[in-house]
Amino acid sequence: MADDEKMQVDGDDGIDEISPMTLGHYYQRLFPHALYYKWLNYNGKLATTEFTHREFSFTIKDGIYLRYQSFKDSDELQRELQRLSPSKIDIGAIFTAPPKHAKSLQPGVFKPVSKELVFDIDMTDYDEIRTCCQGGAICAKCWRFMTVAMHVLDRALREDFGFTQIMWAYSGRRGVHCWVCDERARKLDDAGRKAVAGYLSLVRGGAEQGKKVNLTQRSAHHPHIVRSLEIVEEYFEDVLL
Amino acid sequence: MFNQRVVKREGHQGDQAVVPEVVRRSRYPCRLTMYGDAPDVEVSIEEFETFALDRLQVLRAIEDAQLRAKGEDDMRKRISEALEKHMPSHTNRSKLLPRQLVGERRKDHVSHFILRLAFSRTEELRGWFLRYECALLKHRFQNADLAEKQELLSSAQLRLAHLSPADRDAKLGSASGFYAAQEQLFEVDFERVLDLVGRSQVVLRAGRAFVPQSEVAALLIHEFRHSLTQALAVCAKALPQMGEDERLLPLLQNLSNQTARSEYQSTGAAGAVTAESVPGLSDSFPLCMQHLHSQLARDRHLRHGGRMQLGLFLKGIGLGLQDALVFWRRAFSAMTDDQFQKGYAYNIRHNYGMEGKRADYTPYSCHRVIMSNPPGPGDHHGCPFRHFSAERLRAALHKDSLPDAEVREVADLAQAGHYQVACTRHLELRLHHRRQQTQQQPDADIRLSAVTSPNQYFDLCLGCTKPTHASATDTTTAAAILSGAPKSTTAIY
Repeated sequence: MADDEKMQVDGDDGIDEISPMTLGHYYQRLFPHALYYKWLNYNGKLATTEFTHREFSFTIKDGIYLRYQSFKDSDELQRELQRLSPSKIDIGAIFTAPPKHAKSLQPGVFKPVSKELVFDIDMTDYDEIRTCCQGGAICAKCWRFMTVAMHVLDRALREDFGFTQIMWAYSGRRGVHCWVCDERARKLDDAGRKAVAGYLSLVRGGAEQGKKVNLTQRSAHHPHIVRSLEIVEEYFEDVLL
Repeated sequence: MFNQRVVKREGHQGDQAVVPEVVRRSRYPCRLTMYGDAPDVEVSIEEFETFALDRLQVLRAIEDAQLRAKGEDDMRKRISEALEKHMPSHTNRSKLLPRQLVGERRKDHVSHFILRLAFSRTEELRGWFLRYECALLKHRFQNADLAEKQELLSSAQLRLAHLSPADRDAKLGSASGFYAAQEQLFEVDFERVLDLVGRSQVVLRAGRAFVPQSEVAALLIHEFRHSLTQALAVCAKALPQMGEDERLLPLLQNLSNQTARSEYQSTGAAGAVTAESVPGLSDSFPLCMQHLHSQLARDRHLRHGGRMQLGLFLKGIGLGLQDALVFWRRAFSAMTDDQFQKGYAYNIRHNYGMEGKRADYTPYSCHRVIMSNPPGPGDHHGCPFRHFSAERLRAALHKDSLPDAEVREVADLAQAGHYQVACTRHLELRLHHRRQQTQQQPDADIRLSAVTSPNQYFDLCLGCTKPTHASATDTTTAAAILSGAPKSTTAIY
């Protein structure tokens, strides 16, 4: 893709228009069923509760959203994917019971147990500083902001938090997802996730906050900031000048 | 019951370190506690009630102090005064009789557990109790002497590993410079100091946090919060079994009803407000909702945080589900029907309890707006007194044509961190000016108790604008103002 070629990655409503037939072919021929299962099952070939108690949500034709999908093994997941051909799959948390049976359980029995720590970086977060594109459009130029972000985040997650099972994936539209799958990350509760996010945040404030990056004498010397600055400096000239 | 006069003990002049043997062997050798064990003492019904009410007064004073205190010293002073008044506790070195000391500590211990029971009933009450018990322990720890701190730390069994200077260099390298050279560091799993991690107050290496001596209180409070949270859950389950004791249940109920901070019961009956009437009412909206409303009109869109904050607020003032769907559909004028139906209609119905788990979501309180879900780029939700920059806030305040001095007064309050007090003051001033314009009681100052939710602000504003009789839904504050108070300021709490 040439530098000035812009890519409009979604319609105004964010719903991708792909024909059901194409989706059907995709799930028959291209979707990596075995790898997908292996990734989500964590241990071994036989399905563990980490797989069977996992909630999936599918967006199928006409934008219908199906929650509380769960599967007893790899075959069942594959069959359903090929039958429903969803345009979007959301991977939810691992619960105390198969989500398919959630409604038949006593209230309070069905609860989330663990969930990977996922970061979602969207190109629109950079709308205030990118000059080539806005909104749903992305190009090779502004995508470099994403590269820098990924390096900063990856180093912090590995060096500071000690996480090792990290997967980066293109989100399909205009950003990336970072999946931290270490058990320690999966067990983090709300407060833990909020703390990790707080540690990694530097830009604070909504549209009405003028100066969004506030570094005191002390915080400017925090090792994470120092290291991130070094990473940014590597790319600064190239990306911005 | 106890002889409250302080009695001098003979023969111990100048000897600071001696703990009376009696106290040391008693149930309560230490002043500070983490309330790990339930009391196994007998308590009379009168004590049961008095102890609990006194402690409740302390917790409410802390809540009040957090809203109003001007700086840390003022905060400390307010809490100390409340403790002195309702639940004094002296150190082992004081001149009190041993049985007075033990009596104070017994009251502290027992009252905590009574309130634990009383406040375990709902998630909201549990949250309230947790917040202020943690604040109380933090205050007491920070103001304790060294010996007491050591005692509490060792009894808390925090399992802290000191870091030797050699280890410090090996593990941190140049990052060691983040801390003062002579500061003692402890190495713990980062999950134990989440608050410090979130604010980047500690260095992290491979999942371990390096906590300086000065922040050990944070560790302590975190542990306390964790164990108290679990304990409250246990209490909640045990409550139904108490049904047999007819003396205690009514007392417990009464105690938890004393906190007026429960979710504000909005006076807006569903259907009272139509989609068309919303713009007209926006004059009585608090600043946060006015801002969201005007941004919605300008952008013809709002992001999720803004939709929730404004949407639930409108529900609270009486916008019914059907009108809400019309209101938002019209507001999102740039999108197609299909886009609206697929992307937004479901969420609106969800907010009214018509979908999914059918939870009827309540409008946000100020506490929630201020503390949870800070706005990011492109967001317009949150509390303007907190989340606007100083200039931006002043600009917004000027829109009401308030004189400079008053704008500055409100802005200063916001700068000092008293967001709700600033908002309340803003309301008071607006109402005052409205009064002057309509010639009602132009000289009476208006004083309101601090606003705790946007819906309450709306009701107050609307109630005070009604010129003649008070409607059935007026709060006591509005009614008192309208009843014709004389020239002096009318303080209402």
